[in-house]
Amino acid sequence: MSAETEHKHAGPGRYLAVWIALLLFTALTVALGRMHLAGSWGLLVALAIAVVKSTLVVLFFMHLWDHGGANRLVLATTLVFVALLIGLVLLDSATRFPLANPPTEATMRLMPPGPGAAPRAVPAAEP
Amino acid sequence: MSPSPASIPPAPADAGAPLYLERNYLNARRGPWSWLTTLDHKRIGVMYLVLTSAALFLGGLFAMLLRIELLTPGPTIMSALSYNRTFTLHGVVMIFLFMIPAIPGIFGNFFLPLMIGARDVAFPRLNLLSVYLYLAGAAIALYGMVHGGADTGWTFYTPYSTTTVTMVWPILLGAFVLGMGSIVTGLNFIVTIHTLRAPGIGFMRMPLFVWALYATSIIQVLATPVLGITLLLVAVENVFGFGIFDPARGGDPVLFQHMFWFYSHPAVYIMILPAMGAITEVLSAFARKNTFGYKAVAFSSLGIAFVGFFTWGHHLFTSGQSTVDAGIFGVLSMFVGIFTAIKIFNWTATLYRGSIAVRTPFIYVIAFLFFLLFGGMTGIALATVALDVHWQDTYFVVAHFHFIMVGGTIAGFLAALTYWWPKMFGKRYSERWGIVGATLIFLGFNFTFIPQFLLGNEGMPRRYYSYPERFWPLNVASTAGASVLALGFLVVLASLLLSLKYGKPAGPNPWGSRGYEWKTLSPPPEGNFLTQPTYPRMPHDYDDLNPGRGGH
Repeated sequence: MSAETEHKHAGPGRYLAVWIALLLFTALTVALGRMHLAGSWGLLVALAIAVVKSTLVVLFFMHLWDHGGANRLVLATTLVFVALLIGLVLLDSATRFPLANPPTEATMRLMPPGPGAAPRAVPAAEP
Repeated sequence: MSPSPASIPPAPADAGAPLYLERNYLNARRGPWSWLTTLDHKRIGVMYLVLTSAALFLGGLFAMLLRIELLTPGPTIMSALSYNRTFTLHGVVMIFLFMIPAIPGIFGNFFLPLMIGARDVAFPRLNLLSVYLYLAGAAIALYGMVHGGADTGWTFYTPYSTTTVTMVWPILLGAFVLGMGSIVTGLNFIVTIHTLRAPGIGFMRMPLFVWALYATSIIQVLATPVLGITLLLVAVENVFGFGIFDPARGGDPVLFQHMFWFYSHPAVYIMILPAMGAITEVLSAFARKNTFGYKAVAFSSLGIAFVGFFTWGHHLFTSGQSTVDAGIFGVLSMFVGIFTAIKIFNWTATLYRGSIAVRTPFIYVIAFLFFLLFGGMTGIALATVALDVHWQDTYFVVAHFHFIMVGGTIAGFLAALTYWWPKMFGKRYSERWGIVGATLIFLGFNFTFIPQFLLGNEGMPRRYYSYPERFWPLNVASTAGASVLALGFLVVLASLLLSLKYGKPAGPNPWGSRGYEWKTLSPPPEGNFLTQPTYPRMPHDYDDLNPGRGGH
């Protein structure tokens, strides 16, 4: 433990470079968000950028680059569980039966009954 | 069958030790400020004991109100909306304020350092922070309760939770803050177990309660953030109008259930694993026999923690989840049964040819085994998709999870409380009243929930405040059982509180236990030990008392 806390971290140059990289990626996300990429590509690219940015933060700001062993194992374990959550949820939505009565514009405008169910603007249903 | 308590030989370390350590952690420092700013893990454990016990009685009060309402088929004492609010509050208080924090917060804090020969946990200040996070979360949730409460059930399912007019927000925020406290406790325990074990206590010599806490802490650290994320997403949807769970905006309400249960199903193991650990300790002490299959019991805790993450979809069998996912989750859920069975068989083998002393904690052990087996087996049945479709949202499910969570967790909690009470406060409670309380709780619990299995099987749905007359007799039986259960809790409370004033001094080791935590005085001194104990033998090594009986 003490060996790790006394570990010498790199100088400010590395952090500055990572910070600038994070700012650039943020700018890229905003720029791409305005381009309205076709289909799901916008989401996919945004997620890819987010993964790169969080990797940078974890590796350098949280010092995983300098630390090994148990700390890396902990991160790897958490990633396994993130993959588990996302994987089984995506499997669910990918393998659901199509609805026998798919929602129409009329059914989408129905509001749930009960107190306080205020009418809400509803976008037109996709064809 | 059992030697009389007087014949239990005192542990060798007792010789010459005072019956009651006059200057102990309770009175070494004085005044409220010394408690509010304490970094002593034992005092923090006692604070958790007071707070979570208050939550238990508040949740129990809500439960009694529900049972009184269900005493007659029509309205009895409250309106339908009040009923919905009451069962929500019952669930929220019991789960977030009692069952999740209780055993790790009280007994984990108090006994983890004692069991591994440490002076404190790794991060004492973080430990105190967890108490304040608990208080803050409870206060926020209480604010919501006082200002009308929520009527969504403790599961906060969307889209209802985002459209109801009741005060669901403070309760969601309270759960979020409580979750932070839970993460902090888990993190603290993991680091403590890794870094503060005394010389001689390797991983394979840790008391099994510590193994259970270790498994629990991993779940707390890995799963609780997902609850926080889920509650934040609900907030983001409401405030910014993003379509995450609302189908009208392109969201998916089943996604909420996936994310909610990714935390909340492992949370069941946050509740039951520490109880299992405590039961292992108590069972060895009162069977006067080494825990059978130490490694199997230790690793089955980790097994339950691991497999517990793969089962959440069994809550979604009728929610529109795909049949592929439902099948996978159904099979994976049954794996939990394998690890639980490993524990039950090892506990039974520990009892076999043991020299059993039937004292108050041991009655809770027997109750625990019964509740766990009954609740576990009905759980296997419920994990079968074709059966669950019929039982979903009936009283069968209510009875099932009460057997596991209330029966299992409360029996484990009370076994731990009555076993460790003499160590925590240095006083003996009345054994007679302890046994009366334990018996009332065991009988009352069964009379409350066995009728609910039958009601569910006959088709009575949960969360309804009125019912057809044919369900009347069983509901009366259930309410009668709940009254006996409540009486049992009051008897336990009274006998424990009275022991603080009138109880006889306990001595360092009144049960003659060979658990590591008994190697110090009662109550322990501020620094846990006057002299650092040594650990030449496994915890609960009674081999010299049972020649030729084996144990490992």
